Amino acid sequence: MKLFAFLGALLAAGAVQAQDTIKIGVITDRVGVSRPYSEPSTEGLVFGANEINKQGGILGKKIELLIEDDQSKPDVSAALARKLIDQGVVFILSMSLTPATQQQQTVTMEAKTPQMTPMNSGDTLTTQLPNPYFWQTGPLGSIQIATLLAHARSKNLKKVALVTDNSDLGQLIARFFKSGLEKSNIAVVSEEVVPRGATTAMPQMQKVRAANPDAVFLAGVLTAENVLIFRAYKELGLKFPIHSSYNLSVPVYMTVAKGLIDGVTFVDAYDPDKPQVKAFEAAYRKETGKDPFNMHGYGYDGIHLVAEAIKKAGSTDKEKIRAAMQSLSYEGVMGAKGMKYSFPDGKRAGFDPNGMVVRVYEGDKQGRVVYTGQK
Amino acid sequence: MRAGATWLAALLVMSGAAFFMGEYYNDVYRKLLLWVTLALGYNFLFGICGQVAFSHFAFYGIGAYSIVIFLFQVHLPFPLAVVAGIALCVVFALAVAIPSTRLEGFYLALATLALGQLFIVVLNEGGAVTGGTGGIANYRLPDIFGVHIRGPWYTGVIVALVLSTYAVLLRLDRSWFGRACRAVRDNPEAAAAMGVNVTRTKVITFTLTSALAGLTGMVYAFVDNTVNPPIFGIDNAFLLLFMVIVGGAGRHAGAVIGAVLLYLLPFWLSPLVGHHHVLVFGVLLVAAILFQPKGLISLWDKLQARVRRA
Amino acid sequence: MQDFLELAVSAAASGCVYGLIALAYLLMIRPTGIINFAVGEWAMLGAFGGYVLLTQREWPYPVGMAAILAGMFVVGWATERVAVRPLVERGAPILAPILALLGMLVVFREAVSVSFPPDPLPVPFPFGIGRLEIAGVGGSYQSFFIIGVTLLVFAGTWLFFERTVAGKAFEAVALHRRAAALMGINLSRVTAFSFAAGAAVAGLGGLLVSPNISAHYLMGVPLAIQGFTALVIGGVGRVEGALLGGLLVAFAEQLTIRYAPIPSGYAQGVPLLFLMIFLLVRPTGLLKAKE
Repeated sequence: MKLFAFLGALLAAGAVQAQDTIKIGVITDRVGVSRPYSEPSTEGLVFGANEINKQGGILGKKIELLIEDDQSKPDVSAALARKLIDQGVVFILSMSLTPATQQQQTVTMEAKTPQMTPMNSGDTLTTQLPNPYFWQTGPLGSIQIATLLAHARSKNLKKVALVTDNSDLGQLIARFFKSGLEKSNIAVVSEEVVPRGATTAMPQMQKVRAANPDAVFLAGVLTAENVLIFRAYKELGLKFPIHSSYNLSVPVYMTVAKGLIDGVTFVDAYDPDKPQVKAFEAAYRKETGKDPFNMHGYGYDGIHLVAEAIKKAGSTDKEKIRAAMQSLSYEGVMGAKGMKYSFPDGKRAGFDPNGMVVRVYEGDKQGRVVYTGQK
Repeated sequence: MRAGATWLAALLVMSGAAFFMGEYYNDVYRKLLLWVTLALGYNFLFGICGQVAFSHFAFYGIGAYSIVIFLFQVHLPFPLAVVAGIALCVVFALAVAIPSTRLEGFYLALATLALGQLFIVVLNEGGAVTGGTGGIANYRLPDIFGVHIRGPWYTGVIVALVLSTYAVLLRLDRSWFGRACRAVRDNPEAAAAMGVNVTRTKVITFTLTSALAGLTGMVYAFVDNTVNPPIFGIDNAFLLLFMVIVGGAGRHAGAVIGAVLLYLLPFWLSPLVGHHHVLVFGVLLVAAILFQPKGLISLWDKLQARVRRA
Repeated sequence: MQDFLELAVSAAASGCVYGLIALAYLLMIRPTGIINFAVGEWAMLGAFGGYVLLTQREWPYPVGMAAILAGMFVVGWATERVAVRPLVERGAPILAPILALLGMLVVFREAVSVSFPPDPLPVPFPFGIGRLEIAGVGGSYQSFFIIGVTLLVFAGTWLFFERTVAGKAFEAVALHRRAAALMGINLSRVTAFSFAAGAAVAGLGGLLVSPNISAHYLMGVPLAIQGFTALVIGGVGRVEGALLGGLLVAFAEQLTIRYAPIPSGYAQGVPLLFLMIFLLVRPTGLLKAKE
């Protein structure tokens, strides 16, 4: 948190000097359930904004970030979106829970204000509401399962188990995992849910064992509950492979799931070998003295995408920004080597379907990339 | 006649204010008014009738979800959808009220707490009907009798809701029914001995206040045009209880003060204190209870007493 | 059948944790009538104590555990002093301290949330990760450890209430406060002690369950709810009731998930439904208090 304040102060100091600034709103969660993901991405975002300002800002003006805390409460989120719009932001970055981002859309659609989430992966965000001012550059659940399956194709899976939690994102990802599996003619023989606050995942994993699957696909996004799944897996002596959503790419598993995740494969949008990643990590380390991880990259890319769109529009007119973003093509830190964010055919989900990589845990460390894309 | 004029004036002033506020303040104002409505109803149930229930918010949710489902999935015409929604709330309220009159104090609290949680589970698992964990969005308030109500005009609708709820509850409070409720709260055996039908009083109070909460929920559904499970969680049920207690249980003014204060406090604290604001909120809450266990309304009373003495 | 035995150990371990939380509630409810929902956050404090002393500072387990219990004792005593005693002394209605404690719940949780990073944090297993077979029934070391410690705590508490003078004083206060005061029993000392003991027991529960679920700032509320459910089912009257209630809740939960032919999502609703029906049919719990 101190880091946050430090970066924020740097940014504020930079903005105060400027006469005229470009106001960009950020809605994040500092105290609620989304905090483990919102905090690092927002730190990456602030770092990126500082970097842009040091290089002269956008169109000669400095970025001024207006950051609000929605506590992961969707109705507070909507109110904050209105507040930011009243304060004159030209863009809103949504760095909180999926339902919060959804609820903000009602507001941004009405107020015709551009809004983007660089980190949410719920597929329905761009389909539930026909909001032309909203984009999503997080890696969608459907892309995650397609990438996982492309990698697993060689393993000849016939029947699998699907395990998730009862969070909204976990349920959403599980839905898309299931349809992806069924489309590949793989039977889902067991679907289990580990609820938030559970003390063990033993009964669920026993059911999974009883169904005798070739592999298990993990769609859950709650860290503590996922660890319970791994523990039960170990205790029951299960041997079939585990393929997980991008949630496993968060580094906390390396400390909290020691000895439990060797050999688990997961999708990630972060390739540590990519030159942009190496440059980003070095710059971040130099500025703050701490190591960033993939969550920081989402925020960093998010602010850069917004900056690029404004630069391309050549003005802070919201309509021009909208058109510029829709026709943007940008290579950032996240994604496989050479991947570009883009929004072809009027779609508003910008993460390239071939842009994810599959990595494997080697011991307790996040290991090498074993597969790229969906081909 | 004069009383009627006061209500009309209140309606005009409170609705008129909406036309002078920006989008953001209008939004906060609307949600504040909805919380005040809920607090008034809950105050009647808990403060005046002494029933500790945590199901109030579940009925708020039942009202909100039912109007959306009846309008946009069953495609009922608007007036019918409203009636159907209220009927649903009444039916559920009776189904909960009648068995729960057997429970006292913390057993009632626990049963209604479980009910509140069960409601969320049903919402999450409701699939296509309730929109599951993502809820339902992408709908608009339909034209009512050809009238297209938007923006500050809708705030006027909410103001009408608050004022009519207050009027109804005030009336009830001052009637023999209100006295019966208080008797049940303070000493059920004595009340029964005096001829009050304790069970019927409790059931009527519960059903009435829950149906009012449901109606409030219906109005809420069109504020953000989204309904989803996190909005109706049990955290909010506790917050409602706090509002009534901190303001002053049993007093309408207390409910209003509590709702206004506790709803707006995070908005004031957040820019001041940054991410510690929930911690400060918790501390203030404890302090409020420690120093004014009868509610902040008692401060006002003391002030009035001092003024009168002077 | 093999599955059932294995599940039995896991459910027993979870049940013991719920039982400890229920015991914590019971220790405070009996002499004062106050329901302290903050027990979940106390369990969380025990877990974070485990993280700080055992993971970060790598103290030997018994020393760390003793330090945590001692620390929780102080926390419980302080909570009573700050949030309860002023209200009781002023004769405030019973709901007032209950609400003040709910406020303390928020304070505890947020204090931890702002002091630690947001991700779940690891707490070590005292005996490591491994499998033990006793009389043909298998389970993890931790499960057996939890069961063993819980049985000790319950045995000790039962002995305290049944066989010691201090325990009898407690019972007296629980049965009739004014009479107990008239007999010379120091009410405020009993209350303070009950809160301190409640905090220690809750903290112990948190420490025991956290190697599995990790220490995180949201772990308190689910434990508080499960513990309270266990208390209601077991009955407030007897210490053994808390353990019985905890075991019943855990078994109902886990057996339903494993064997009931309903989708997993609905399985969470079953303990809730169970509780509601229980309250209607037998609100005083399974074990009646002694007269």
